[in-house]
Amino acid sequence: MGDILGLVGKRLGIGLFILLVISVIIFFMVELLPGDIAQAVLGQGATEENLAALRKEMGLDKPAIIRYLEWLGGAVTLDFGNSIVTGERVTTLIGQRFMNTLFLAAYAAVIAVPLAIVLGVLVALLRYTVFDRVANVATLTSISSPEFFLGYILILYFSVNWGMFPAIASLSQDMTLPELLHRTFLPALTLVLVVTAHMMRMTRAAIINLLASPYIEMARLKGTPPWKVIVKHALPNAWAPIINVVALNLAYLITGVVLVEVVFVYPGIGQALVDSVSKRDFPVVQACCLIFAATFILLNLAADVGAILTNPRLRHPK
Amino acid sequence: MPKSKDVLLEIRDLQIQGYSDEQWVDIIKGVDLTLHRGEVLGLIGESGAGKSTIGAAAMGYARDGTRISGGSIEFDGMELTTASESDRRALRGSRIAYVAQSAAASFNPAHKLIDQHTEAPVQYRLKKRMEAQEDAIELYRRLRLPNPEEIGFRYPHQVSGGQLQRAMTAMAMSCRPDLIIFDEPTTALDVTTQIEVLAAIRDIVDQFNTAAIYITHDLAVVAQMADTIKVLLKGEEVEEAPTKEMLDNPKEDYTKSLWAVRSLKREQKVRPKDTTPLISVRNVDAAYSSGAKVLDDVSFDVYEGMTVAVVGESGSGKSTTARVITGLLPPMKGDVLFKGEPFPPDYRNRTKDQLRQCQMIYQMADTALNPKVQISEIIGRPAQFYHGLKGAALKSRVDELLDLIELEPSKYYNRYPPELSGGQKQRIGIARALAADPTFIICDEVTSALDQLVAEGILRLLNRLQKELNLAYMFITHDLATVRAIADEVVVMQHGKVVEQGPKTDMFTPPHHPYTDLLLSSVPEMDPDWLTTLLEERGVDNVGEAASSNIKPGDAKVQGTQL
Amino acid sequence: MSIFVIGYYTLLLAASCLAAYFNKRTWFLLVFSLTLVSFILGIVGGASMLRGVAIAAGMLALSAMVAYAFREFLIAIASNDMAKELRTAPLTAAFGMFVIFTYAIAGIFAPWIAPFGEAEVISTAFAAPDGDMLLGADQLGRDMFSRIIYGARNTVALALAGTVMAFLLGALAGLLAATTGGWFDQVLGRTSDVIMSIPSLIFALLMLSIFGGALANSTTSFWLMFGFAMVTGLLVVVAKAENNVLSWLVGLAILVGVSAAFSLGMLTIFNPSEVILILVVGVIYSPRVFRLTRAVAGNVVVMDYIEAAKLRGEGKWYLIRREILPNSTAPLIAEFGLEFCFVFLLVAGLSFLGLGIQPPTADWGSMVRENATLISFGDITPLIPAAAIALLTVAVNFVVDWMLHRSSGLKD
Repeated sequence: MGDILGLVGKRLGIGLFILLVISVIIFFMVELLPGDIAQAVLGQGATEENLAALRKEMGLDKPAIIRYLEWLGGAVTLDFGNSIVTGERVTTLIGQRFMNTLFLAAYAAVIAVPLAIVLGVLVALLRYTVFDRVANVATLTSISSPEFFLGYILILYFSVNWGMFPAIASLSQDMTLPELLHRTFLPALTLVLVVTAHMMRMTRAAIINLLASPYIEMARLKGTPPWKVIVKHALPNAWAPIINVVALNLAYLITGVVLVEVVFVYPGIGQALVDSVSKRDFPVVQACCLIFAATFILLNLAADVGAILTNPRLRHPK
Repeated sequence: MPKSKDVLLEIRDLQIQGYSDEQWVDIIKGVDLTLHRGEVLGLIGESGAGKSTIGAAAMGYARDGTRISGGSIEFDGMELTTASESDRRALRGSRIAYVAQSAAASFNPAHKLIDQHTEAPVQYRLKKRMEAQEDAIELYRRLRLPNPEEIGFRYPHQVSGGQLQRAMTAMAMSCRPDLIIFDEPTTALDVTTQIEVLAAIRDIVDQFNTAAIYITHDLAVVAQMADTIKVLLKGEEVEEAPTKEMLDNPKEDYTKSLWAVRSLKREQKVRPKDTTPLISVRNVDAAYSSGAKVLDDVSFDVYEGMTVAVVGESGSGKSTTARVITGLLPPMKGDVLFKGEPFPPDYRNRTKDQLRQCQMIYQMADTALNPKVQISEIIGRPAQFYHGLKGAALKSRVDELLDLIELEPSKYYNRYPPELSGGQKQRIGIARALAADPTFIICDEVTSALDQLVAEGILRLLNRLQKELNLAYMFITHDLATVRAIADEVVVMQHGKVVEQGPKTDMFTPPHHPYTDLLLSSVPEMDPDWLTTLLEERGVDNVGEAASSNIKPGDAKVQGTQL
Repeated sequence: MSIFVIGYYTLLLAASCLAAYFNKRTWFLLVFSLTLVSFILGIVGGASMLRGVAIAAGMLALSAMVAYAFREFLIAIASNDMAKELRTAPLTAAFGMFVIFTYAIAGIFAPWIAPFGEAEVISTAFAAPDGDMLLGADQLGRDMFSRIIYGARNTVALALAGTVMAFLLGALAGLLAATTGGWFDQVLGRTSDVIMSIPSLIFALLMLSIFGGALANSTTSFWLMFGFAMVTGLLVVVAKAENNVLSWLVGLAILVGVSAAFSLGMLTIFNPSEVILILVVGVIYSPRVFRLTRAVAGNVVVMDYIEAAKLRGEGKWYLIRREILPNSTAPLIAEFGLEFCFVFLLVAGLSFLGLGIQPPTADWGSMVRENATLISFGDITPLIPAAAIALLTVAVNFVVDWMLHRSSGLKD
């Protein structure tokens, strides 16, 4: 078992290191601004006094490296400073929104993951039949369409034409869960459509790859019935690729959510990011970017760790 | 061996098609086969002969991308081509079992050996799980696996290749089938390991009087195993005869060509006196980055115009030695001298002239020639690069080289490697080496991927070129027949060390270093009684891995044979 | 039951019976499953749903016919080798090629095809379609159809430029890393790992918040483009330069000149904010191209013919140009198509968010955003530019899917 723990530890270390490098990129990219942040916020017409005051308030008189360490220290304790536009604490601005985004992603994932895996395995078993070809064209079409195209089509039919679901996914505190699920159904469905297509294709490829292994042929030549070949011989070796597929697509969900939130005016962190980019509210932009990057890295990490833990060669070392 | 006369398997006019380039093409063109109970039939042929396909068809199984398009397969009175899939499946594992070429890839990595072993008997309700496990241990014991009680409870990657192959044979025996298909079971193994597997397979097939189809490309191996041999060529039968008759008196020329290399002999040269060797490897230690030592104090000389064969099993360091000489792997210690002058260890620091002197010919002609470059450029580039030839001079040099390797210039000048046969590709590889005008050529297993007849042609060509151009060869090989055919001197390597070296005639006459002895005695010979005799002489427990671990460093012969 | 519904089911059932009778298993399965699905849809959605299905089927059949005819057309005009390849193309790939061809024509000849200018106000806001305006007017009263045509030029050109930049940098770095190996390979590999662990849309937003939008001016974008070109060119110099100072100096001098000319050229074609967008795309996607090229070239450099060429003493540039590239063209072309789709979707997404191509330039992503309000009145106008985006990416993906299938040598 020592081997496995070592590998997992090493992978975690790499993940942490990459996160650190990314925090450096996110912080110092803003330093590249022509002029400085104060200049960018106040614009060309600002007086020297105003600029000096703002610089003092934002701590711009300190060297960049000190400010970076302060920012990183704050980020670890979930304190990202104050917004330059509204002056509010960034954490209060995006805290609730982040939870909303997680909710939407989880909603989509709960539908998409089982659906995609079942369909993916099914298509792999029916490979090279007409169903496989139809599924290939359908999934290819789905992943090629921009999220806003799918989103507006859903709005047009489900909301405007048939009036089944609301087009705008606004939330309020006192909503019950069924109400919440109903209200956020269309954005979730948009995500499900895109992610399921991706996941189906990847699952299909992984399963077909697996079924070509010599040990699968050996199992068939031992007279093992087809269902048992799948359950006993293919599945134990399929976990690693499937975990990989799921984690990669969850990572995609987390970021693909930005466009969907804008289409459905959903109060999530993606919309906060887009708003603050156009307002050049850097502390919020930095915080959102760090959160997105961290989630993305975490999920990739989970995929790799999952692959290590389910690898029989590593679980039973020599 | 007593045989009952009733027919177990009868194949008539079998035709199988394979799907390639968007159409079905015939790969088996009407083969007949009759197998009696308890009989062992050897199916032999070169790559592409369709042996494996017939083996799978005997189980009523068509691999992905193939289909049985005609003929009949009758197993013990049951017609497999028209039987339902579930009826056919019920035979597999219980009455017909299969042993695959690569045991390492054919055992499921996720399950223990014994669980895979007991799967079939439990499923067919022949035995309870515990009984099946006891039976498995018994079979492991009979197949002389070390620790039979315990080895089944390991996972496939925890067991060595030779042992896995025996475990797979045990698994095939689990339901005591009437017929086992052995599909090249020892091809991926080293010669010394091959022996134990062959001995174990033969014993167990005898003990249970199981019929078997033994598929291989090595006539000497099949001679030990089979009662009858059938020779195949491109999906058609060449001839079939009882083993002894086939070896003593083959009818077809093609069959005779199967041991072409063994009939090749040449005069042995001796070292010229008082000259510096062309290449000399001095006390070389080498390792790949951050790994253990792969070469340990390797020294030998190659003289002008002579052939030194470097022999050893996989992992012995033969190819690593070649990499050190060419400069791809700078050694940790020691050096390589060219005519007495040291070669820079890294090829990047060598001059154009030094690089030119030492050329290489590769094992796989497929990967050694760039498939997207014309023959004229493949051969022409070294001449252009080293000698600055251009235009008409370059063209006439390429023509000259093509003549030298016995290919007609006008026909091959503008073609691409994928359009050529394996032997032709290997010749182009030789021409590319010659284009540089070298004095020394490293030949890395140049014939092992080729069919026997083609290999013989290549060896003859190399011998001729050596005479005409006074080339020195370092010939890396694991095949002792090739060594007999081409070498002047022999270097035997094991675990990165040179265990013995000297002129060829000395090497093939005792006394030997025990490892050389083991290696020489492990090479199958064209004699049906060879394995029996060998096992009687050496004893069942003194072959293969057991024997090589028995070699004591303090042995008198080990000390005495170093030159 | 209207005559339409009766006719509909009769046709489907007749078709499935015919298919079954003539032993066309595939067609039978297809038609009969459609029949079963139609039963359910008919019960749920009534005749209008069936009408929708019938229209969709008709359009599919029409596209199939167009694709078939276009493939035959290509086979007729192509050389022998090409024709042999084209015959293996499925209808989806032929359809994809047809769409790409149409878009190329629309983009190149936009000023001649479009009846009005892209920024020309000719009517009232959201005017309905009429004889002059095929698709009506947008929120400022500009002709929607003309803007769609111009969009084919603006949006696609920008995405194409971005992909080319990403490809030049990524592919050169990948080929060089594969031939050089060692620490150079390691450093590039780790760098691309880091950049790739920031989600692309997020990274693009971060960079645009700093350099993009109204702040983009000619000087900044010139220097950034110059820097990008220098880095790309430096890779060529590293690969080509012999081991002496002079060849390095000459190489660098040429490089500076070429980069400056290239950057100026880019600024005359695109406006500063578009140049920034191209650069953002280049930075985000070059690591992805790098990783793929490195993998493709990695499969080639282990071949013995590469070893033979190295031992001959050949330089890196020869190895890349003569030995590696000819053996990696097929996967690289497919990858170019795939990356183009990603870039195109990213650019469209950014424009949709109002952070990409700036008005008044006609661009499909921004057009969706500008007309989005119409959707709540059941008007499909905003879906048209969105569909234009989807159609092109689907088309490219169809072609890429076929090429990947061919180059991986998969046999059914």
